[in-house]
Amino acid sequence: MKLRSVLLISLVVLLSAIAFSGVVNIWSWRSQDADVWKQVESRLRAQGYDIKINFTAYAPTEYDAKVNLALQTGTGPDLVYSRRLPGGLTQTLIDNGLYLPLPNDFDLSHFPQAVLNSVTSGGKVYGVPFAVQVVGIFYNKDYFDQFGLSIPKTWDELVEVADTIQKNGITPFFVPGKEAWALTMQHAMCGVSVLGPEWIKDLTEGKTCFLDVKFVDLNRKLNDLKKYYQKGFMGNSTNDLNAAFAFGQAAMVFYGIWGYQTWHELNPDLRVGYFMVPPANECQEPYAYTYMDGAIALTSNVKNREDSLKVLEFCATPEFGTIFSNVTYNIPAVSGAQLPDLDILKVAVDTYNNHASPYVYWVGSVFVTQKPSLYTDVLSPGMQAMYSGKITPEELARNAQDAISQWYEPLMKK
Amino acid sequence: MKLAKRYLLLFVLPALILYTLFIVYPLINSLFLSLYSWPGVGKKTFVGLDNFRKVFSAGSFRNEVFNAFWHNVYFYFLAALIEIGVGFFIALMLASKIKGARMFRNIVYIPNMIPLVLVGFMWSLYLNPQVGLVNQFLKLIGLGGLAQSWLGQESTALTTIILVNAWRNIGFYVLVLLAAILDINPSLLEAAYIDGASNWKIIWRIIFPLSFSTVRTLAILLFIWSFNVFDMIYALEGVQAGPYRSTDVLGTLFYRTAFGGLGSSAIDMGLGATITVFIFAIIMPVSILYVYLVEKRQRSA
Repeated sequence: MKLRSVLLISLVVLLSAIAFSGVVNIWSWRSQDADVWKQVESRLRAQGYDIKINFTAYAPTEYDAKVNLALQTGTGPDLVYSRRLPGGLTQTLIDNGLYLPLPNDFDLSHFPQAVLNSVTSGGKVYGVPFAVQVVGIFYNKDYFDQFGLSIPKTWDELVEVADTIQKNGITPFFVPGKEAWALTMQHAMCGVSVLGPEWIKDLTEGKTCFLDVKFVDLNRKLNDLKKYYQKGFMGNSTNDLNAAFAFGQAAMVFYGIWGYQTWHELNPDLRVGYFMVPPANECQEPYAYTYMDGAIALTSNVKNREDSLKVLEFCATPEFGTIFSNVTYNIPAVSGAQLPDLDILKVAVDTYNNHASPYVYWVGSVFVTQKPSLYTDVLSPGMQAMYSGKITPEELARNAQDAISQWYEPLMKK
Repeated sequence: MKLAKRYLLLFVLPALILYTLFIVYPLINSLFLSLYSWPGVGKKTFVGLDNFRKVFSAGSFRNEVFNAFWHNVYFYFLAALIEIGVGFFIALMLASKIKGARMFRNIVYIPNMIPLVLVGFMWSLYLNPQVGLVNQFLKLIGLGGLAQSWLGQESTALTTIILVNAWRNIGFYVLVLLAAILDINPSLLEAAYIDGASNWKIIWRIIFPLSFSTVRTLAILLFIWSFNVFDMIYALEGVQAGPYRSTDVLGTLFYRTAFGGLGSSAIDMGLGATITVFIFAIIMPVSILYVYLVEKRQRSA
């Protein structure tokens, strides 16, 4: 009898605790973040906030359609992971009032302006950025030590490095040619160094165009590099890349820092280094392709505004960055976080802070915001076609010019 | 009589409501949507027949549509040749009294029960150019020269996908054809044997004509499925339908157009709906033919 009443009372207490604690629902395309939110919840509880976080991850390919539909029908969550700006998807959601701006007094002092640019529209800030990505060349340090190689300073040196590795019987580069997006990324990360940010700025302003000899030359450089890729590279996926690089079947990959989590899981002994794609000659500075991965945005469907803002406020602190990077090995967008003690992350953060290209032509650029897009419609099929010998480097440049000049005013024929 | 009609309506109503809600309404809706430009959220802009102009008048989008369309056509003919043609001979073998026929009947159907996502995953491993099972096997039997990057080159990618598709689906065709063959009155075959007909003659003059209506039905169904195909290409080559669109079909083109290919690219549901209307216009006459033939068969039966 006594036991029963104790149980009953504890049940009532438990139920009322659940009823009174605020629930915040978050949707994401990143299933690897589940643990981040568990830690955030317990940290907030320790601070005395009675908040329960419900985190749901959807397949990345279905995520955007799901959010669109849910927000329009009023069945969406309080917070969602949102894609970066400029971008058609996010912009439309903002224009239709489905994402809400952060309050004017919201503390964003821990974010550099470059990051905030990717969440700002019409002078208002939509969402708290959570991660930034750095792409470039990742290399196996053991092979570089073994063959006495150092980080190349120019494109020609990069070719020499590849040549030495090949002569020693190791595949210099592993390229996932079946996944078109990865080839576009390769083009884009080489572009920021070989073409340089100034050239991309001129392109954006219409002072030069894709037919420029520098752009054609970059295409040719990439096409000439393919003799250093693994045999049959056009049939490989990024899964293949992860396995091949982690187990030392190839010495270098054109990839992003997010790959490290997988490589490390597959082979904890792997020593990975990073360098920016070297520029065409010594007079030029190398640059890195970096971008904000996404933000956590307040939706118009918010049911628990007060607690949701509390969660967002926490996301804007270095403490969140510490939790985030220790779980995912990604670089947090917020500055001042305590990163895990890994050289590769330190190099990536340093690159992000000091060598990020201010102008780009892949994600985060104007060239992907309309159809035909430089990303989906030109470079993705185009790089595959060039690598397969279907089109020449000159034709790839011509395709880019023809496609973008259909809708991008500065590049139209004057 | 009046009462019966009223009850009839009552019994039909639940199905009618479901059918209208989930088939007729979306169909009409996408017909209307094809007249608009719409990014999936917010205001729809009426553009009249502009979307259809993009599909049919010269331009990069028309090239993409017809590139995809011809791949659908190729898909249909090759799939028909393998799944129905080869399937017919497998069914013939299973119909004859060979040892273990029952076991083979089960084996041939097994791939059909594997979820498609898994099929895609399995085959992308098998077809890996360096360490995949297919190339390793070729090397093992001394045909290493034939090893290639099956999914990575224009000349083999689409055909490889169709073969994987056949590997998965042929069991269904074999089972249906087998049923048709076993349905033939054995006395006809016995009579032919007694008259001294060769095996080939029996197959071509008796078994094939008597199971032809089944073959025809399967051919029509396969046509409809071939123009709706999406999943197999999506599983093996992704929505970009690489290399350079050489495996693109109307289904993947629709997906890219309506839901966006990658990350932050622009999307247009209206233009996507136009592609579905185009697919519908191809499939509809064939579906009507199918219904007509089935009806006719039932009446004559």
